[in-house]
Order: sequence, then structure tokens, then C-alpha cells
Amino acid sequence: MASEKGRTTGVVCVIPAFNEEATIGRIVGEALKHCGTVIVVDDNSEDRTAELSRKAGATVIRHVLRLGTGGALSTGFRAALRSDFDIILTMDGDGQHTPDEIPAILDPIQRHEADIVIGSRLLGEPGSMPFIKRVGNKVLSTAASIACGTRITDSQSGFRAYRRELLEYVMHRAWDYRWASEILVLAARADFRIKEVPIAAIYPRKRRKGADIMDGLKILYSTIRRS
Amino acid sequence: MEPYAIAATVFGLAMLFLTTWEFMRRKIGFLQYSFWMALWIAVTFVGAVPQFYSALLFTTQALGMYTPIHFVTTFSVLILFAVTYLLGKRVAELTEKVNTIAQHIALQNSSNIPSAMQHRNRDEA
Repeated sequence: MASEKGRTTGVVCVIPAFNEEATIGRIVGEALKHCGTVIVVDDNSEDRTAELSRKAGATVIRHVLRLGTGGALSTGFRAALRSDFDIILTMDGDGQHTPDEIPAILDPIQRHEADIVIGSRLLGEPGSMPFIKRVGNKVLSTAASIACGTRITDSQSGFRAYRRELLEYVMHRAWDYRWASEILVLAARADFRIKEVPIAAIYPRKRRKGADIMDGLKILYSTIRRS
Repeated sequence: MEPYAIAATVFGLAMLFLTTWEFMRRKIGFLQYSFWMALWIAVTFVGAVPQFYSALLFTTQALGMYTPIHFVTTFSVLILFAVTYLLGKRVAELTEKVNTIAQHIALQNSSNIPSAMQHRNRDEA
């Protein structure tokens, strides 16, 4: 996992993307400063997401139909596990996460303090996170904390790092947003260590995507069922 | 003949022909065909020969319904609820299978993931 030229070669960054042509090139470029490889899982985008990701230096895996965020991440994880990376990092392709915070996310795993690190938008300043999202996140994180038996402040964050051994042992099955809580519960049950670090919460003004109330209810039900 | 009876007969016959046409074109299987045919025949009979259901009168009254038409419509709705539920379940199963296949195809087409070892060698060089 030696760091050369500022980037960590044993780290692969998996970015699930659907119609992210406005931001994906910049995100890939910045992620490559910190990670050896970036895999963009294009979830059947209708725009130039795949083309721009490739141009920016990412390896692109394309779904022939839209599977959802959980499906895209599961594809990325499976692809990463075929190779010899030690740490698998995930982040969103819409600019909600800052690639400059990658070293802070990787640090607890590199120091053998955790097996999953979650970048929590609610540990620091919630910033521009909409009020309704903050309330929803609080409810889902409380349910996830009870199910996992450890305090989690942002169970829905997609900015995470996983130790390879964890993903070899547990993998979520949900194709949609339920993946985020599901993998935490599975990992906690298998006695893997979960740690959170504060990250900035950036919500672009014109953000159209993200979980809605129905998704929230599905996540809550699935988390309660697992606890 | 009451207007509702004409509507029921026309609708029943139309669906009966459509279902037979789909069966002959092998768009639906024999089991599906039999089920829907039984339902359309029942609907057609409700309109065309309502007295046919007088044989059901005893059963209908035992169930607390005034006329055989109540019996037929109520049980048809219940059967359709069950069919909708089973179809929903089948769609969920098929979606799961299709998603798994789509993921499998995506992974098969992506054999060029660089390894960490390649990066280390390149950086050292």
C-alpha cells in the first residue's frame, strides 16, 4: 500500500454514476490524485458519463440496464475484489463528496483501527444539507445504530472505505438505497469494526437525485427487519 | 336484457376472443389460457344467461349474498386480487434475475481492471 506521488496504489475508488456528465470528469481526476485506480460503474446513463470518465482516466464498467445505486456499488465491489486492492473506497459522482477528504477516510483503515470508515456529514457542520434530509437521516441512522449495536450518525453516506477482507466476507444484496444500512448491519454482525470521520456536506442546488420518502421507509423497514 | 347485461356479454366475448387469439399465437400458456377462459365465460354468462346462476342460489344465500351476481362479482374481484399479488411476486423474482444477469454481463465485459501491483511497478519504474 506504498504511497507514490501522493496516491495510494493499494486503494481503488468505486464511483457509481448515473447521468453525471457535469461532474464525473473532475471527480475522477481528483480521486486519481489519491487512489491507484478509479472504477466508474455507469448505471446505464443516457449522457456522456462513461466517455468522460474514461477520458479522465477511470476504468468504466457499464450496466446494460439501470440497476440502482446498490447494484452499481455491488458491481464495483465485485470488480475490485477480482484484483489485488487492499482498500475499496466509494464516493458519489455528483460532487457531493470532496476527493481531498479521501486521506482522512483511509487513515483509520491504514492504521488498523477500523474495517469500515464512514464519512459522516452529521459529525461536523451539516452545512447545506436540507432539513428534511437531516431529519430522515437521523431516523435511519438511529435504526442502523440499534441494529448494529454501535453509534452511527450517518448511515446513508456513500463516502466510505472498506477493508478488502470485509467485502470478501459480507456483501449487500439490495439494488437500491437500502444497500447503505444493509452492509453496515451485516458487517456489525460479523464483528467488523465501524468508524466514522467528519466530512463536509455539499448539496448542489440543482441536485435532482437522492433517496425520497418512499426509499426512506423501505430502508427503515429493511433495517428494523434485520435488527 | 338490462344495459349492464349487454356490457358484460360484449366485454366477456371480446376478452374471450382476445385470449383465444393470444393462445393461438403462443403468447400465453395452456394453464393461463384455461384460467382466463373460465373467468371470461363466467362474465359472459352473467350477462347473457343470468338464470344459469340460479343453481348457485343456495350457496349464495348461505354466504349472505342476495343474488348470484353478487357472488360472481365478489369472488371474481377476490380472485383478481390474488392474481395481482402472484403477478407482483413473479415480477419481483424476474427483476432480481434480470438484475443479476445484467451485473454478470457488466462484469464479464470488464476484464481490464488494473491491479495494485501494476501501479506499484509503474510507479517504481
